[in-house]
Amino acid sequence: MLNIKCPYCGDRSQKEFAYGGDGTVVRPQLNQEVTDEKWDEFVYLRKSPRGKHIELWHHIAGCRQWFRVQRDTVTHEIFKTAKINEEIK
Amino acid sequence: MHISPLNFVHKTGKFGDYSGKNDNDLLKVSEVNKLLIFQIAKFKNSNFDISNIHVDELNLPSSLKSSSNSNTRILWLGPNNWLVFSSNLNLIEKEKKKFNELDFAITDISHSRTIIELEGNLVNEILKKGCPLDISSFKSGDCANSVYNGINITIDFISDNPKKARISGLRSFGESLYHSITDSCLEFGYKAI
Repeated sequence: MLNIKCPYCGDRSQKEFAYGGDGTVVRPQLNQEVTDEKWDEFVYLRKSPRGKHIELWHHIAGCRQWFRVQRDTVTHEIFKTAKINEEIK
Repeated sequence: MHISPLNFVHKTGKFGDYSGKNDNDLLKVSEVNKLLIFQIAKFKNSNFDISNIHVDELNLPSSLKSSSNSNTRILWLGPNNWLVFSSNLNLIEKEKKKFNELDFAITDISHSRTIIELEGNLVNEILKKGCPLDISSFKSGDCANSVYNGINITIDFISDNPKKARISGLRSFGESLYHSITDSCLEFGYKAI
């Protein structure tokens, strides 16, 4: 069983969480001209690396908060978790 | 009018492997209803200091904790989010002036939850059967959101001696949750009261 450390609730089973996709995607700035390529990249293109990756997870059956997780996609080892307004370096 | 979510499901009596066991040692399963239930959510952009707020003379508890008196229990649901259970049905009317509409949302959800209370020495064993939490680490005054056989629940650890916990879930999942919990109790025998 995979345990994920929620920044608010502590270690919890993966059963309580929902995967939210690539956590490195940045939305284009509001009220600025956005090219079709940039918009296409934001909406559709996602990284799918083999190894360390920053992902979004949602503690859907817990505190209902979104947060970032740095996880190895091969071994599933979780290195760090952080609140959504914090960066993982 | 309040109609119990488990009106057609919860039957009193003894069930499972209860024969030859002392009544006092049996697990007790009961439904808790006719409570006022409301959610307090503090808005993200609010700077309001919650330490100045009391509901039924209780503080809004910190992470994974609850605060309670004989009428009311307040559970921490998530950051800036609390769930209040109270037998004082006028509590919202009495307390809502304290909550500025620009800082808080107060939502009456009395009809949307089902609450099952478990009492007895084997409460932790029942919870462990369907819930992935480290149940033994939770004591009286703690609370947690989790899942029970896939159903989202909130567990309120009410007392350690006698061991007592309340499990609440969405009303629409009440019947499934009840069957899930009572199925787990059959092995030990239980008394539905």
